[in-house]
Parts: sequence; structure tokens; C-alpha cells
Amino acid sequence: MKERTFLKIIDPVKDKMYRMALRLLTSKEAAEDATQEVILKLWSRKEKIKHYANIEAFAMTVTKNYCLDQLKSKQNSHLRIVHQNYQNHGPSLQSEVELNDEMDWLQKIVENLPEQQKMIFQLRDIEQYDYEEIAEIMEMNQTAIRVALSRARKAIRENLIKKHNYGIR
Amino acid sequence: MESGKIEKLLERYDEGKTSLAEENILREYFLNGEVPEHLRSYQLIFMFSAKQKNETMERSPWVRSAGTKRNWYSWTSIAAILIVALGVFFFNDSSRELNENDLGTISDEELALEKTKETLNMVSQFMNEGKADLVYLKEFNKTKNKIIQID
Repeated sequence: MKERTFLKIIDPVKDKMYRMALRLLTSKEAAEDATQEVILKLWSRKEKIKHYANIEAFAMTVTKNYCLDQLKSKQNSHLRIVHQNYQNHGPSLQSEVELNDEMDWLQKIVENLPEQQKMIFQLRDIEQYDYEEIAEIMEMNQTAIRVALSRARKAIRENLIKKHNYGIR
Repeated sequence: MESGKIEKLLERYDEGKTSLAEENILREYFLNGEVPEHLRSYQLIFMFSAKQKNETMERSPWVRSAGTKRNWYSWTSIAAILIVALGVFFFNDSSRELNENDLGTISDEELALEKTKETLNMVSQFMNEGKADLVYLKEFNKTKNKIIQID
């Protein structure tokens, strides 16, 4: 396989891989490094990749495993303290500011979910994979995934509602 | 879309039982237009998900092909060996030349004599110049002689 062919296959997947890494690793730099690392890993195993029916799912699985390894290793322990790089929003309307607040808040809620729920929420609600693909990526069965997804969705909404009751809108 | 149907879908959504098509209906509903107050939390979640999907990797990924890498390494080692070999060769050669042939020796005897004289003169001249500055040292002796009476 040539470099260009490989990059062409990877290109539509790379942002999904990056978002997955970002969901787990909390800093943009770490997520970019992780994505690059995984792409190199896939490249070094390119001969085997041909035999996989679903390269995208395989790439996502490798990303998932790599990020979980990163979290376990000490290397990443200091990165956990680094907060998500928030973008600087320019001056905007009051309602937009409020909306950004809500989005930041949601970001924190999702960040605090258990890793598994976080990943499944990412795959289903953000990337919109079907259950079969998620099962393949997560290496879990579909029932377990539905349960985890349901828990994640409920937890996110509960936290959001809690904030609304306490905070001043 | 009437809100009764949406609420039914949301219930199934919470249980993780909706299909992608049904979730698309929900997404469409929440991202376009006003929703009742009690569904606001759902709307925020859908907005969040939609926004997250816009996140893209800024760096472009790269791979290096294994073939060129190996070639590159072998070529560098060949170049390094050549540089070292040539370097040693030329260095040895030039130093030998320096030792044996070119020490600036003058073959004409008379000229050599003149040159030597000139050089020695120059040395003595500088010696005298330097010595002139040492005149002050006599002062030490004078003082010393006052204290230690030798005669």
C-alpha cells in the first residue's frame, strides 16, 4: 500500500479518532499526539489492515486502546490536570454567552462520566455510529452498550437539571 | 412534529432504544426552532453533540514509508564513512608534507645569516626596551641599603 492510498483511507476517519482521543485525554495537544501515534501504528501494520472488513472500526478500536493505555501510564498523569483548552470567544450576545456557558458545563459533565460511558456517548451521540459498529469498536456486546449509553444519557441530563435548579439562570 | 411523539421518542432515547433514524428526527427537531421549556435540557445535549462534531484535528497526519527510510539510513552511513575516510587520508597527507618539506627553511646561506642577525638584533632590542622599565628596581636597593648596612 502506498502512503497516499493509506492517508486517503485514514483521512475521513482521522477527525473521529481525534475527537475520541480528545474526549479521553482532555488536552488538544495530547489528543493530536495520540491520533498521530495511532496513525503511525496503523501504517506499520498496513499489510494486515487489508484483511479487516471495517478499517474505520479497527482504527477507532486502536485509538480507544491507545488512549486508555495513555491514561494508565504515568506519562499522561500530569496532562489530566491541564484543563480542556477553551477557545476564546469574541464578544457576543448575552444569549450566546449563556449558551457557551451551558456548553462548557456540558463539557465538564461529560468529562466526569466513567470512561466507558464517555466513549459510548461519543460514538453514538456525536459520531452517530450504529450499535453494530460501536460493539465492534468497544469490543463489547450490544446489550451492554445500550445499558451504558442509557446510563450516560440519563447522567448527563440529571447533572444538567441539577445545575439549572441550583444556579441562577 | 407534535410534542407527544417527541416525548415518546425521548423516553426511548433515554433507554438507549432509539435507532439512528429516530435520533435524527430528534436532532432535527431540537436543532431547528423553539422547544417547550421542559425539553430544554434535551435541546442543550443535542446542541452540544452537534457542536462537538465540528471539532477537527488541526495538524495533518503523516506517515513515512519504510522503504525510503531504510534507504535513507544506508545512504547516510555510506556518506559518513566516506567523509571519515577522506578526512583521515587528507589530514595525514597534509601533515606529512608540513613536517618534511615546508618549514620555511632558507637555502641561500648569506641570506640566512642576514635573517638570523636581524632576528637576534630584534630580540636584543626588545630585551633592552624591557630592561629600561626595570630601572625603578634600583630604588628598592637604595632603601634596603639604608636599613641593612652592608659596608
